[in-house]
Amino acid sequence: MPDTSPLPDLISHVLYSEETLQRRVAELGAAISADYATKKPHLIGVLRSVIVFMADLMRSITIPMTVDFIAISSYGPSTKGQGGVRLTKDLDQPIAGRHVIFVEDVIDTGLTLSYLLHILKARQPASLQVCVLFNRPQRRLIDIPLAYSGFDVPDHYLVGYGLDYQQRYRHLPYVGVLKEDKVLPHRWSRGRV
Amino acid sequence: MMTTEGSERQPPRFSHPAEAEFARILDFYGIPWEYEPHTFPLAWDEQGRVTEAFSPDFYLPQQGLYVELTTMQPHLVTKKNRKLRRFRELYPDVPIKLLKRRDIRGLLLKYGLEEESHVVLDNPPSGEQVKQDA
Repeated sequence: MPDTSPLPDLISHVLYSEETLQRRVAELGAAISADYATKKPHLIGVLRSVIVFMADLMRSITIPMTVDFIAISSYGPSTKGQGGVRLTKDLDQPIAGRHVIFVEDVIDTGLTLSYLLHILKARQPASLQVCVLFNRPQRRLIDIPLAYSGFDVPDHYLVGYGLDYQQRYRHLPYVGVLKEDKVLPHRWSRGRV
Repeated sequence: MMTTEGSERQPPRFSHPAEAEFARILDFYGIPWEYEPHTFPLAWDEQGRVTEAFSPDFYLPQQGLYVELTTMQPHLVTKKNRKLRRFRELYPDVPIKLLKRRDIRGLLLKYGLEEESHVVLDNPPSGEQVKQDA
């Protein structure tokens, strides 16, 4: 039965319903299962926003697989002036000789992903591919081949299905568009193209 | 293409806070960059002298990509868009990415820099208009 509960105040509309997300994630899982039928994929995700996608993707993969997580500091008010990226949680298992699939929730500029792939490649996996759920190619600065991509998304701030705004809305089963004019300073909305 | 010798070895004097913030983001993620290292002629007079040129704000050598930033309101970017069109006509093999006001805003929001956005997007230093349209 469709969910008819009202949207949270700061969400303008649903971009991808729970059903749409589940269907696309199942397709990605099926593709990975087929491509890695003779291998054992090792999925790696970067905490935290990938956890919901990772949980669903893992369950849609029908072949033996393993999973691990990594966490890094991201650029922001608390990390400005502190040098570069820091690993705040390293992988628990070595990846040398393994068939790694890096799983990411959103890719836009590619800066974070580029940094992480550089780290992973140095650890000499047998292969390294990328699976992303939400791709924002219009913001890309670093070109990165994507073996698996769920949706090309419009240039809006998305929340839900693991994605947050100030740590809110990660739990929503759908992806919604944030009302930017409600959460950002009014002046920001002037520049909308 | 003309080159500004040694520009990457000197601490650059950014002409806009958005450029400084963008450079800090690139530094954080270990992406090498150069600030306005190259100038591309866009027009010449009858004697072959350059009458119009364009210096993209950033060059990312590992990507071979030029990046131009603009914080101007969309209705004010006509001249810049014309320059970019001419640039792409003359140098079709040179990759360039234009980060518009909305792109910069999205980047700042992504990194939780809402307060900084006031400085970057709404309080341009004097002379910015001249520089950005140049």
